[in-house]
Amino acid sequence: MTDTAIAHGAVVERRRGEGWTASALVGPATIFIALCLLAPLVMLFRYSLNEFVPSKKMMVEAVTVANYVKFFTDPYYTTILWTTVRIAVLVTTACLVLGFPLAYVVARTQSRFKNLLIISIVLPLFVGNSVRAAGWMTVFGAKGFVNASLMGLGLIDKPLEIMFTEKAVVIGIIAVNLPFMVLSLQSVIEGIDRSVEEAAFSLGAPPATMFFRVLWPLAMPGILAGTILTFILAMNAYATPFLLGGPLFKMMAPLIYNEFTQKTNWPFGGAIAFILMTVTLLLTVAANLIIQRRSAR
Amino acid sequence: MVFMINRRNALGGAAALAAFPAAAQDNKRIVVGTWGGDYSRLLAKNIETPLLAPKGWDVVKDEANDPPRRAKMLAEKSLRRGTSDIQGLSAANMFEMNEQGVLEQIDYSKLANAKNLIPAMKYPYGVGHIYSGKVVLYNPKLMSTPPTGFADTLDPKNGDKLGIIDIQYQYTLLAAGLASGGSMSNVDPGKERLVACKKAGARIYPSNEAFAQALKTEEIACGIMWKARAVQWQNAGIAIETVAPKEGVPMYVSGFAMPKNAPNKAGAYAYLDAMMEASAQEGFAIDMGYNPTVTNAQVKPDVQKRIGFTDEEKQRLRDLDYGYMAKNDAAFQDWWNKSFKA
Repeated sequence: MTDTAIAHGAVVERRRGEGWTASALVGPATIFIALCLLAPLVMLFRYSLNEFVPSKKMMVEAVTVANYVKFFTDPYYTTILWTTVRIAVLVTTACLVLGFPLAYVVARTQSRFKNLLIISIVLPLFVGNSVRAAGWMTVFGAKGFVNASLMGLGLIDKPLEIMFTEKAVVIGIIAVNLPFMVLSLQSVIEGIDRSVEEAAFSLGAPPATMFFRVLWPLAMPGILAGTILTFILAMNAYATPFLLGGPLFKMMAPLIYNEFTQKTNWPFGGAIAFILMTVTLLLTVAANLIIQRRSAR
Repeated sequence: MVFMINRRNALGGAAALAAFPAAAQDNKRIVVGTWGGDYSRLLAKNIETPLLAPKGWDVVKDEANDPPRRAKMLAEKSLRRGTSDIQGLSAANMFEMNEQGVLEQIDYSKLANAKNLIPAMKYPYGVGHIYSGKVVLYNPKLMSTPPTGFADTLDPKNGDKLGIIDIQYQYTLLAAGLASGGSMSNVDPGKERLVACKKAGARIYPSNEAFAQALKTEEIACGIMWKARAVQWQNAGIAIETVAPKEGVPMYVSGFAMPKNAPNKAGAYAYLDAMMEASAQEGFAIDMGYNPTVTNAQVKPDVQKRIGFTDEEKQRLRDLDYGYMAKNDAAFQDWWNKSFKA
């Protein structure tokens, strides 16, 4: 009995030691996040309940949900939210469709240039979003690369309107997000044993059946990670819609920036920021649950 | 842990306190909030390097567009010490920042060069640095009959050959108002005109530079902009002519103001005084095409002809009703975003 008690005490002692080590490891990051993320968020939420006097451009202390009501009752704002969700879903789907085959090839290749392939996928991330958008501007412009080539070849006689349209924004965000999707998928596909694919084929499964019944379910963690990452990035895209979308195209992040800086309407800007965050979170969680439930079946 | 005040701590604290005012007195650093690009470069070329550096001043720039700089000033409002000593802002923005209570009132007796300042540029809360006027720009190759004012420029008949700059919504509303019988204190009559132009295909550009690019590629043939910018673009080889609109020329004044919590007010005054120096003002006229705000600046006749306004045109210069603009700015933006651009 005493022996057990002593042994038990030692275990508790050891666990306590582990607890200290764990908290020492988690501590710095937690403190950083609490100070630099949670505290500003709490302040911003408080601001979002304040009132704004437009004629003086001043924030007045209050506790009201008027800013949230204003957003959801004005079709101008709800349209922007809907556009943002639509673009994010479209971009995420496109990234998955385009990224899966690429990730598969990179994961399965035996080539000695494999590292070079991975670097060339990561390389675009070395350049900032706005720099890349500037590059797209020279491609999409009325006298840009695309229009100049098509007109030079005599395929069109009037330049296509790409710059400052939704098309430009979708292409731009796909280009930004695709590497994140490919890298998430590639790391997971690499971990799937090739023999399970061969087993499916040897049992007579055609490629499509093998893909949907074997590869897809096994790659699900990578698909989830990739889609979540891409979706969140697309929902919060700022530089690309701002630079390629032009003055007539609106998404949520540029709208928030505009409320804070141009109108100095911090309460409404804060409210929109929280709406964007909540919608992104809810859609991500919902999509996760649906996909996981489906794949569990 | 209990914090103990022992002899050593107390001595250390006292020494630090004693050193602090000394450091503040020796502060020769001026933090200038300004737009980046040409304007910042020319501030260095015409003011900082020739006039302030020889006197030992060290100028540090905080470069950004004015909305984020204004947001920063407001965010720092409650701080005892702000992070900038002087901020470059348009007259309209200086007015607005003053209304928000973040600007120091200028003591003109501390500015030796203030005696030469054009009286209209002497704001209680800031000093006008340069000015220009909103004029009509057109490409003579694409428009056989030159426009005479805002009415035949902001006209649906120009279709998609008319360019409008998104960030210039205030002046575009003013110009459309003047064209449709409004005034500097009433832009409402022009709203219908702008919507008609948009329906007829008018192109909207996000920035001044994008607008210039469109003029260059001949995507558009006309629009409205500061005369100074038109001069810069002419210098860059863009084929445009300018017309001082018959309805009136709304003025654009850019100046400098000092936040109430500027850490180095002496530095800010030194900057303001150097900025009014005739040589600095002449430099800006030549390099940037803006008109000097001091009377003793000597601008050569050929430069004057291109950047300035004739006596007859000067009669038509209209200063803004800053109170009206500030009070209605949020409403203007709402209309612009929701009704005009929708």
